[in-house]
Amino acid sequence: MNPTRLKALIRKEIYHLVRDYRSLYLAFAIPLILIILFGYALSLDVDNVETVVVDYDKSELSRDFISKLDASPYFHVAGNLVRTKEAIDYLDRDTAAVAIIIPPDFMKNIQADRDAPLQILIEGSDPNFAGIIRGYLTAFTEQYNQKLLLSFLNRQGMEKISPPVDGRIRIWFNEDLESRNFIIPGIIAIIIMIVGALLTSLIIAREYENGTMETIKSLPVKAGELLLGKAFPYFFIGLTDVLIAMLLGQLLFGVVMKGNFFLMIIATSLYLAVALSLGLFISTVTKSQLIANQVAILTTYLPSVLLSNFVFPIVNMPKILQYITYIVPARYYIDILGGIYLRNTGFSHLWPSMAVLMFIFTLLTSLNYLLLKKEGL
Amino acid sequence: MTLSNSNSIFVENLEKKFGDFTAVNKITFSVKKGEIFGFLGANGSGKSTTIRMLCGIITPTSGTGSVAGHDIVTEPEEIKHSIGYMSQKFSLYEDLTPYENLRFYLGVYSVPPSEWEERIDWVLNITRLREEKNRLTKELPPGRPQRLPLGCSLLHKPDVLFLDEPTSGVDPITRQHFWNFIQQLAREGITVFVTTHYMDEARFCQRIVMINEGSIVASGSPAEIIAAACPGKPQADLNDAFITLMTRTDN
Repeated sequence: MNPTRLKALIRKEIYHLVRDYRSLYLAFAIPLILIILFGYALSLDVDNVETVVVDYDKSELSRDFISKLDASPYFHVAGNLVRTKEAIDYLDRDTAAVAIIIPPDFMKNIQADRDAPLQILIEGSDPNFAGIIRGYLTAFTEQYNQKLLLSFLNRQGMEKISPPVDGRIRIWFNEDLESRNFIIPGIIAIIIMIVGALLTSLIIAREYENGTMETIKSLPVKAGELLLGKAFPYFFIGLTDVLIAMLLGQLLFGVVMKGNFFLMIIATSLYLAVALSLGLFISTVTKSQLIANQVAILTTYLPSVLLSNFVFPIVNMPKILQYITYIVPARYYIDILGGIYLRNTGFSHLWPSMAVLMFIFTLLTSLNYLLLKKEGL
Repeated sequence: MTLSNSNSIFVENLEKKFGDFTAVNKITFSVKKGEIFGFLGANGSGKSTTIRMLCGIITPTSGTGSVAGHDIVTEPEEIKHSIGYMSQKFSLYEDLTPYENLRFYLGVYSVPPSEWEERIDWVLNITRLREEKNRLTKELPPGRPQRLPLGCSLLHKPDVLFLDEPTSGVDPITRQHFWNFIQQLAREGITVFVTTHYMDEARFCQRIVMINEGSIVASGSPAEIIAAACPGKPQADLNDAFITLMTRTDN
């Protein structure tokens, strides 16, 4: 590595970047768009589920049941309907996800100590969503039953009674089960991949397309210097993007990193290096900006969203896809981010994932180095 | 054959194969220091492959050679430092100004920064681009950008200059200017290795080698080549000789 040469290469790359303002726009617009889009739109939380009720009983108890349901953060009673048919219409049109039908004699049955059946219909086209709602409703009715039971026993003169097994559940790390707490770190992983790999996938191909690669080959430029010179400006753009994303995550969504900032920067730099080396490798192999762009989207953006544990849990995937996820760098970074952002884990737990990223980076860079070497650099 | 000191370029049995295809077939020639040497051939005759081997961009399949005293097989790095290369396609950065392009070359050739301004000054003079030095290359008036690559390839004061079809697409006046300048460089001791399609230009060369399908078909001064290729035709010029030699593929 010759410092004068490296400096000249870096300076040239910065000129390209500054003059090609489209790349620069992309480099800073991408994190903004992604974090706002994913942050607001991609909520996996289930709350304020639209619910319609048909109350044939119209008793004090049925009204109490409905108002308690409406008061819970998970349900919103959108309509009190007269006939079951109307409730089914709501489900058909997908304007409500839950319909509750309270039969006549609901209160009378309870007071007479008989079974008091209640019909609950859930719109199940999204099974995940429906499953979560079913869980909420089961818990809600159980709680309601318990309250009825207790007030009955109290009225009978029994002072205090509590159920024998009392499982006390506490959620760790993401106490309020807010999905944005893991979506925001996930977006950071995607931003790095897009900015790092998509933009760099163009820059060696561009030299080939413009014929300047021929010049570079005739100059005493070494393969390693070319790669480092190309990656250098994008590395800092990538890091800046991460800082923007972290800041927006905190300001807009209240997602605060719990772990060590220094460790975050180290791990992020490593992952960024993987993204850059992947983009440059694609660029050297394809030698065409158009193809490089397509390949980069296919091999970086899509796997980072689909196969990284970001939105879709890897454990639920078919075995063959699970094996494929092992070569997706985002998978390891999202694992690291979960550790740093949510669990405040240290290096001692995160090093295996970091080692894999290091390995992928070394592999891609060595391959690219050899390819360029063979080309005459 | 010994390597004479006055030989700036020297190759022996130089061969390059791409798979089964022989691009350059065991050619042998030498170029003296300060000589303007023409390397002529039709498209696909092996000209560019030879230049790329001499510039240390690709390694020969077999054969030996040296450029500016450096072995073309084992010392490509040293060769790149002592030569200037101007490829047939315009290959500078159009989104950089001439000044920035020159600084890029100086940096890449690791010329000591204390000499930069003086060298840039010199090149801006010979390319007559002083007025435009801070305008983006792609926005320069037509014809101007083409002056820049030659300047870039001379910035580090190379011993040997390789010009791959330097005047294609250049108007006659600029071409005349260009050749005057090349002759001046040669007088200063720079070896000029040039390929061209224009036979009227080839007469500026002191010596010529013609290559066809990877093999040398003629060599010597322009006059010698015409005499050998077109015997008994005193009116013949280099063009006739070229066509005769390039179409005679069977022997």
